[in-house]
Amino acid sequence: MEKEVLITALKKIVKPYIQDEEAFENLSENTDFIKDLKINSANLVDVILDVEDEFDIIVDNESMEKMLTVKAALEIIETKLSEK
Amino acid sequence: MIGNDLVDLKLAAKQSNWQRKGFLDKLFTPIEQEYILNSDNPFKTVWLLWSMKESAYKAYLQMHNERFFAPKNLTCNLTSKNKGTVLINNTLFFTESEIGEAFIYTVAFTKNHENKFLTDCFRFEHLDFKNQQSQTYQKVLAAFANKLKLPVAQLKIKKNGQDVPQLIQGKMLLNHSFSITHHGQFGAFCIGD
Repeated sequence: MEKEVLITALKKIVKPYIQDEEAFENLSENTDFIKDLKINSANLVDVILDVEDEFDIIVDNESMEKMLTVKAALEIIETKLSEK
Repeated sequence: MIGNDLVDLKLAAKQSNWQRKGFLDKLFTPIEQEYILNSDNPFKTVWLLWSMKESAYKAYLQMHNERFFAPKNLTCNLTSKNKGTVLINNTLFFTESEIGEAFIYTVAFTKNHENKFLTDCFRFEHLDFKNQQSQTYQKVLAAFANKLKLPVAQLKIKKNGQDVPQLIQGKMLLNHSFSITHHGQFGAFCIGD
C-alpha cells in the first residue's frame, strides 16, 4: 500500500480521539499522537485496536511500545502487512 | 519522583469502552484483569488501575526521559482499596488514590516522597483543553511561589522534549519533582517535597 493511502487511513482512525484540531489538520509523519494531537493516553489503545481491525494485523506489545508517532505507526503497519 | 493522574469518570465512560474486545488485554496483565473482573465495580477498577499506571509512568519518565507505550509493563498491585504499588522496570512506585463518584485521582511516588508531597484537585469552569492546561499551570505555579517564597511572575512551566513539565525561574531550571493532570471537568497537581 502506498504511504499516502496509509496516512489517509490512519488519519481517519485517529480523528475521533484527537483534541487538537490544528495539529490534526497539519498531520504529517512527524506528528506525535499524544504531544501534538493530544490524544488521551487511554485512547491510544483504541487507535491501536482500530489499526488492527482496519488492516487486519496484530500489533504485538513490542511494536505497541513505540507507537507514539504517525511515523512509527506507519512503519509498524507496513511491517505487519508485509509479513502477511 | 512523583507523578499524578486524574480520570473524570463521566468523560471516561464516553471516551472509552473498556468492554471493547482487546481493550483489557492490551492494557492490563492477567492479574490486573482478575482485579477488574472480580471487583464490585469493574468500570471503576479499570480506571483506578489505569490512573495508577499513568501516574507511576509520569514519575518514571522524569528519571528516564524516554517515552513509551507499554501499559502491561507497568504492573499494579493493590494493597488496600485505594493504595497500591506499580513496578516499572525494577523501580517501585507507591500509589494513593482518591476514588470518588465523579473522578479517580492517583498520586504515585518513590519511597523518599512518602507522606512528603503537596497535592490539590479542582473543578474547571471551562472545558476547553488549552484553557484547562493553562489554568492547571497557574495553580501549580501559585503553589510553587508560595512554597519557594518567590514571586509567581518569576516562575514558569515549560515542557521538555519528552513532554515532561519543568519548573523554570527566569532562565534557570529548578529541580523539583511535580506533576499535573487534567481530564474532563477536573484538574490536579502534586509537588514533591
